[in-house]
Amino acid sequence: MSGISSDVIRGYNDTMILYLLLDEPSYGYEISKRIKQLSNDKYIIKETTLYSAFTRLEKNGYVESFRMEDKESVKRRTYYRITEAGKEYYKEKCEEWYVTKEVVEKFIEV
Amino acid sequence: METIKNYLETMFQNLPNTPEVRKAKIELGQMMEDKYTELLQEGKSENEAVGTIISEFGNLEELAESLGIKEIVKEEKETPRRIVTLDETKEFIKDKIQHAYFIAFGVLLCILSPCGCILFDYYAPALEVVIGCTLLFVLVAVGVGMFVFSGLSMGKWGFMDNELCSVEMKTAEYIRIEQERFRMAKIGRITIGVILCIISVIPVMVINEIEAIAEVWEGISVVFMFVAVAIAVFLFVSAGIQNGSYEKLLSLSQFQSMNTFYPRQQKRITHYKNKTVESIMSVYWPTITCIYLCWSFLSYDWHITWIIWVIASVIEMYIKAVFKE
Repeated sequence: MSGISSDVIRGYNDTMILYLLLDEPSYGYEISKRIKQLSNDKYIIKETTLYSAFTRLEKNGYVESFRMEDKESVKRRTYYRITEAGKEYYKEKCEEWYVTKEVVEKFIEV
Repeated sequence: METIKNYLETMFQNLPNTPEVRKAKIELGQMMEDKYTELLQEGKSENEAVGTIISEFGNLEELAESLGIKEIVKEEKETPRRIVTLDETKEFIKDKIQHAYFIAFGVLLCILSPCGCILFDYYAPALEVVIGCTLLFVLVAVGVGMFVFSGLSMGKWGFMDNELCSVEMKTAEYIRIEQERFRMAKIGRITIGVILCIISVIPVMVINEIEAIAEVWEGISVVFMFVAVAIAVFLFVSAGIQNGSYEKLLSLSQFQSMNTFYPRQQKRITHYKNKTVESIMSVYWPTITCIYLCWSFLSYDWHITWIIWVIASVIEMYIKAVFKE
């Protein structure tokens, strides 16, 4: 694995997080774990990256945070829930990605 | 887990102490803790887990973006902090230097106060009580008067202890330059003070050895010792207080960062495990002073009674070491 340049993927951290929140609210570590799993261990998101993404998403109104007790352990954690605006934004980002991918692919030697 | 906590603590120690930063620290700590628990469950060793977590932590520059300088500035306005202006700083330092000389001079007078008694005891015993003791009380009175006056006149700066204060960057810069400029003077004073302390006992020792002149010079040599020690203490005290003023001002601004996000300890009161010891220690130094004066006046052995201070401080250190909480 050559590893992913964090510069390239930065613009899509938000997309990944929003995707994972589409089904149900989640919290920091669970999200980072699922990103790792879904990417077959090819992408491990840094803690600081994740946290700054959360604050940015929340500031823009794409997610809401709330404190809740974990089902298994008794720890209280900050959970994030996607908003309607967040779902909109997610769709926009998906479309943006199709275009980006199409454009970049023209320049990639297979 | 301790390693991770320390790591996080270190990463955050120089960040401004704002709600955003505190929240970020808690959240990041939580994520790291979760990851740690999971890695251990997977069968990783503690060291491996710590290594993985630290390597996947990322860097704080990323956070700085989201914590936003703007928000920090806004936050500053919300929690009002008494800004100590540059002019106030200059005035404070000026006052503090004056205060330093007052206190140091007061201490000097107190140390010199028995000299009259000593001189008259050796050379004109008849006048010892009349002039010597009068002189002693006058000098002590003037010295204590200087402490009281100086202490009260510094009272206007009391707000620094009672309010949250800070100094601006450029003020802090000014203080640092002043402190740096004072550094050599401080080293000089302390060096001269130490030398004086050491040589202060030389005349007493030498003159005691030479019988021919012992009679005449003994009194002078004891007084010389007092004068040398008094000057040395003057140098120590003045340098210490002046340097303390810079430290004090600089500590005001450092208080804003995370590394001092702990209840501020205004006065360091030593607590003892044992209540009896605590109550004895609260009157320790006054008692020592009392013993010193009683012993000295009753025996007139001024040349040796000072030893009580040395013994007293050793005993104090010992009591602190044994009974301190």
